[in-house]
Amino acid sequence: MKEEVVAAENLRKSYETYLRRGLFNREKKVVEALKGVSFRIYRGEVFGLLGPNGAGKTTTVKILSTLLLPDSGKATVLGYDVVKEAVEVRRRIGVSLTVEKGFFWKLTGRENLMYFGMLYGMDGAELKQRVQKMLELVGLEELGSSDKLYEEYSLGMKARLSIARALLTDPELLILDEPTLGLDPPSARLLRELLIKVAHQEGKTVLITTHNMFEVEIVCDRLAIINEGIIVAMDTVDGLKDLVSEEITLEMLVVLPARVSLKQLREEISEVVSSRVEVDPTEEGTRIRVVMRPLEKEQATQEMLRRLHSMGCSVRRIEVKEPTLEDVFIELTGGK
Amino acid sequence: MGLWTLLKSGLILDIYFFKNNRAQLVSMFAWPYILLTLMLGMGFLFGSAETFKSNVGVEADPVVFFVASTLIAMASLSVMWEVGGTVLYHRWIGTLPYMLIAPYRTSVTLVMSYIPRYLLWSFMQLAEFVPVLIWREGLVGGLSDTLVMGLAIVVGMLPLLGFAAIFGSFLLTIKEETNVLSWLNPIILILSGAFYPAYLFPIWARFLSILLPTTYTFELARLSSLLGAPKLAEMTFLIAVLLGMSFLYNALSFTLMGKAERRALKSGAV
Repeated sequence: MKEEVVAAENLRKSYETYLRRGLFNREKKVVEALKGVSFRIYRGEVFGLLGPNGAGKTTTVKILSTLLLPDSGKATVLGYDVVKEAVEVRRRIGVSLTVEKGFFWKLTGRENLMYFGMLYGMDGAELKQRVQKMLELVGLEELGSSDKLYEEYSLGMKARLSIARALLTDPELLILDEPTLGLDPPSARLLRELLIKVAHQEGKTVLITTHNMFEVEIVCDRLAIINEGIIVAMDTVDGLKDLVSEEITLEMLVVLPARVSLKQLREEISEVVSSRVEVDPTEEGTRIRVVMRPLEKEQATQEMLRRLHSMGCSVRRIEVKEPTLEDVFIELTGGK
Repeated sequence: MGLWTLLKSGLILDIYFFKNNRAQLVSMFAWPYILLTLMLGMGFLFGSAETFKSNVGVEADPVVFFVASTLIAMASLSVMWEVGGTVLYHRWIGTLPYMLIAPYRTSVTLVMSYIPRYLLWSFMQLAEFVPVLIWREGLVGGLSDTLVMGLAIVVGMLPLLGFAAIFGSFLLTIKEETNVLSWLNPIILILSGAFYPAYLFPIWARFLSILLPTTYTFELARLSSLLGAPKLAEMTFLIAVLLGMSFLYNALSFTLMGKAERRALKSGAV
């Protein structure tokens, strides 16, 4: 049975904001950031919270980090209530909320980590070793930047240091708010690889928020799409794609042996899938186009390949045309 | 894990700052003398040391008097700025959330991580003035002045920590980063009798003065400058008042900071 690391149950949160109306007047406005958010995250998984600006991602992350109190609902981290047992939660999480600030500018990366390590209760040789290990892990040591002042860091270096701090106390849960926002491709790639490594090799659980579809596809085991304070869908990337697509298209280019006619081929394929099959000869070979339901995809593809093989056909190319995560996101968030 | 590492974290933060920022170190050493020179210079513009004594009504060497005032003023400012204003500072540089997720109560984190800085700075500044005190009062007098001023710095800090944390808790709850302390600090210093004795104030100001812990800290430091050697009974009384205020203000700040933190976490001010 999978171990539950985060459990959020019907979280609600509203903020009061004020709109200026002239010099002395202001109008109070209540914004509902979360309207009953529920989800579970299990040990060792990378869970993504994907949503447009103002969807409620950061609010959710702040509640789980014990930096914001929900109006109602309940959230636990490793069984500890984020409101009533905040100190216990804090001992078990590593947090990165923004990558471009949050450190002392006149301290080096190493000194910043030493300071925060002590603030979080670490000390002595254990702290020094851990700081060194983290600097190596995030690649700052390799870049020769561990002992550079933070004010001289690029955004990529700042992001690495932020992840290093989040990992410093060896937390069981990492909470990262837009960890690759604004990073150059090499830094973003390194951080993505790092996240996969800490989750899948070291068994840590990771919650990230992001706008980046590509990142979600690569990094996340599961994700929730949040829009206007409501989770509109939650599944694996493939599961979400299946959710919004009624059909997918499989295209194959095959070379037929002389004894197999186009009619025979069509009949054979039609036995496998319930929907339409097109078979057209081209200069390169015979193009087979099959439209099928997402649920059929894996089984039908395997069966088609088996039958093609037994007919003596050689398959030169297979292409599956299915919705991208971006299509899913736009469909579920109403194009925002 | 414990409060010791929290204290140490404050200490190494300052050591790192000084190491990487030499200009700050130099200004820390120069600042007390700049302030002292300014005050004495302004004083002498209006007459001699004798004129000062008769105008202000204190029977003291103006240099020693202002050394004591400068030290206490700087120490008080430091507590108010660093503990009261630390919330603003951390909010500005983006470290506030990372301070708050330290596994302690917020008031404990803010106060404890500041104490080493206070002691380090205050005693370095006190050490700077030792030659001046010996020059004015002789070896024995100068050293006894130093001891009393050192005591005033330590005992005076205790209620101020709580007093400043109350302002810190207020700043934690407001979203607008208005710098309340920049106008509050000079008022506190004046009302505490940093530059003129409190008994010269009008009645309403004297009443406010009684409530401020800095008033007693200044009095304690001034004992040495007025008498050459401190009076034990008066000192004991002032120390008792300061300890009483320490209990009161720290208990109050502990409660208020808890409430302020909850309010800040509820309103999203962090």
